[in-house]
Amino acid sequence: MDQASKCNHALASEKLRRLPPSATVDFDLFCSEHDEAALTRLIIAVLVDLSPTKGGGVVDWNDEVRLIEDVGFDSLAVAETIFFFEDLFEISISNDEIASLQNIGGLRAFVARKVKVAAA
Amino acid sequence: MMNRALITGLGWISSIGNTQAAVGENLRLQRHGFETVTWLGNPRITTKVLGTVKGFEVSSHDWRDWRWPGGYEITPEILRSLPPHGLYALCACQQAIRDAGLVASDLADKETALFTASAGSPFMLHHFLGQMHQAKAERGNPMGVVSSISGTLNFNLATFFKIQGAVCGFVSACASSSHALGYALDEIRLGRQKRVLVVGAEEVHAETVLPFGGMRALTPNPDPESASRPFDRRRDGFVSTGGAVALIVEEVQTARERSAPIYAELAGWGQAGDGHNVAMSHPEGRGLAEAMTRAFKDSGLTREQVDYINAHATSTPVGDRSEAVAIGKVYEGSSRRPKVSSTKALTGHGLSMSGALETAICALAIRDGFIPGCAHLQEVDPACEHLDLPRETVSEKPAVVLNNSSGFGGSNVCIALRAWGG
Repeated sequence: MDQASKCNHALASEKLRRLPPSATVDFDLFCSEHDEAALTRLIIAVLVDLSPTKGGGVVDWNDEVRLIEDVGFDSLAVAETIFFFEDLFEISISNDEIASLQNIGGLRAFVARKVKVAAA
Repeated sequence: MMNRALITGLGWISSIGNTQAAVGENLRLQRHGFETVTWLGNPRITTKVLGTVKGFEVSSHDWRDWRWPGGYEITPEILRSLPPHGLYALCACQQAIRDAGLVASDLADKETALFTASAGSPFMLHHFLGQMHQAKAERGNPMGVVSSISGTLNFNLATFFKIQGAVCGFVSACASSSHALGYALDEIRLGRQKRVLVVGAEEVHAETVLPFGGMRALTPNPDPESASRPFDRRRDGFVSTGGAVALIVEEVQTARERSAPIYAELAGWGQAGDGHNVAMSHPEGRGLAEAMTRAFKDSGLTREQVDYINAHATSTPVGDRSEAVAIGKVYEGSSRRPKVSSTKALTGHGLSMSGALETAICALAIRDGFIPGCAHLQEVDPACEHLDLPRETVSEKPAVVLNNSSGFGGSNVCIALRAWGG
């Protein structure tokens, strides 16, 4: 399995250019070493960017933080988040799968698994 | 007796200014809002002049890259689903609300409606459809629909301003925002609404402007000083523009109770179809003449009372001549010759926005006491010689003004404004 082969760095560089530079570093780390801690940091950076209130006042970004209740997303913002990761990793997420993406832990586990499957 | 309606607030994002003071001054001094542009990096494109929107940077599809002038409440929550002309519209609406002495929360009631007009955003639509094709429709941006299709202004502005009255968009090409104004008046007359926020907006991206080049409707004249010259013998097409214009239309008693500033009465309107051609005006101005006649009937005004007509005239050979014939027909047998000009000579043609832009100009002219002249007109087309076409700004306060608009398919609207005497 070649994890890096499924990461489109040119696409990522365009999509991540408005996020802090650390997001690109974390993307590279996840792609090269499948570092899930890096993926978590990347997810948090994306959530902060897409949040209408820039994070909704969340202080402790742990796995249990929920997109709607804690970060203040509406269903469109959740859909934007899903689309962001679909586009970033060139994967497809079905409506049934979205149900498991309600918090950071669920999102990280899903993306990690999906990218593995895509790379297999 | 039917309710009457007043114009109590105006907001402008236009090629000739993003504030009322700038717009008024540029109109009076006949300073145009045109710049020379290059499209798609291709110098061979013959369309060289554009009525640019200054102070905004919206060339990216991503709102995070956009920039706009200070003084507006613009949040990421609203930006994420806006097209570029939605940003213009949001700014124009906030200006109009302030100008009317209102605050945004005053609109969040069941008595306030929102009527909008735009062609949507071909710029955003093209981008999202490109994404869709690239991903073979396996994924798509969730904001793709609401930020691009015709109706995007309704969706976004109604949400932002929490509108609970009527919300509707109007689509009749270059007559769209005049239709919005006409139906706003009817809503107030029928007692259904106390106030209507009417907004017209368009983009100046290649995707909106250049398709008109395919119709040979855009001028190839590269000189901003003469590219837009309605009623001139050498006119050869229009100069496009965009931006947004917002008007607060308010029922008289409601406006009086809060001592609202008053520009003019929205006195009546008329509409009529040409029944002729998908793109060209009727050669005898059939529909437009009928729309003007119906506006007189609707408002109770007579043709002899009219001091000024803000013509639709976009600077195309066929359209301007048709309108001149229509006005001539309406004034057949009358000794009265109202002054006529097309302010598109200065602003450019704002497509769906033009009715709102030019009605706002008429309202300003009534309040501030001036009649815009025919900028750039040097040699009058013999077919238009029967019109009174003042070259310079006239320092007279018009009491009754008409604003004409004509859209594709021969959709014609005439809006009648009257100075308000209380």
